[in-house]
Amino acid sequence: METQSTWQKIWTWIDLRGRREGGIGFILMRLTAIGLVVYLALHLTMISNLARGPEAWDSFIKLVKLPIFMVGDTLLIFGLVYHAINGIRVTVLGLGWGGDHQAALFWGAFVLSVLLTAVMVTAIVAIG
Amino acid sequence: MWIWQAITGALLIILLGVHMVTQHFIAPEGLRYYEDVVAYLSNPGVFALETAMLIVVVAHALMGVRSIILDLSISEQTDTWLKRGLTVLGVLLVAYGVFMTWQVVR
Repeated sequence: METQSTWQKIWTWIDLRGRREGGIGFILMRLTAIGLVVYLALHLTMISNLARGPEAWDSFIKLVKLPIFMVGDTLLIFGLVYHAINGIRVTVLGLGWGGDHQAALFWGAFVLSVLLTAVMVTAIVAIG
Repeated sequence: MWIWQAITGALLIILLGVHMVTQHFIAPEGLRYYEDVVAYLSNPGVFALETAMLIVVVAHALMGVRSIILDLSISEQTDTWLKRGLTVLGVLLVAYGVFMTWQVVR
């Protein structure tokens, strides 16, 4: 039996070819998970700016208010929302419900995530 | 492990929902200024909520990291060390987060 190297395993893991909705949902779930873990580390680092006093905090806030950070915010919100909604889908399937509607559940979760992201980003832009 | 991932995930939806709404939508203009953030974190209820969220989010994230690494078919011995390492990392991350927040509000 042929054994795969770690890199081959990682490639197989993210290769979309020949995947159906369940597989695509799984890959997106993992990619958003990695993105959110990286964000969590950044978020915890951000708290140290608070401990360094008002100047450090206010200059940090000034930086993240730059329009370019809105792109990152949009990706973050989509990642969070998709991860949560798809997590509910996976839990429902794991409990043995809805197995016959896998594809519809995936597309429902994906479309709902896009819509909720659009609503939240619009609200953030409106608040300013 | 799957069921704990689901339970912490469900808790996170609630805790993160409250966290995002209070921080970004209830406070006028969001919590932007230093004094606003300090005043917000100084509320004991908020401190407890943020600490609970930190514990749950770190547990959920590290269980997720383990399940991603398990997909690479690691040995049982490596998994034992992985579990120990992630547990230590989790405790350190929560301690760091609580300590930092305490430094800000005290």
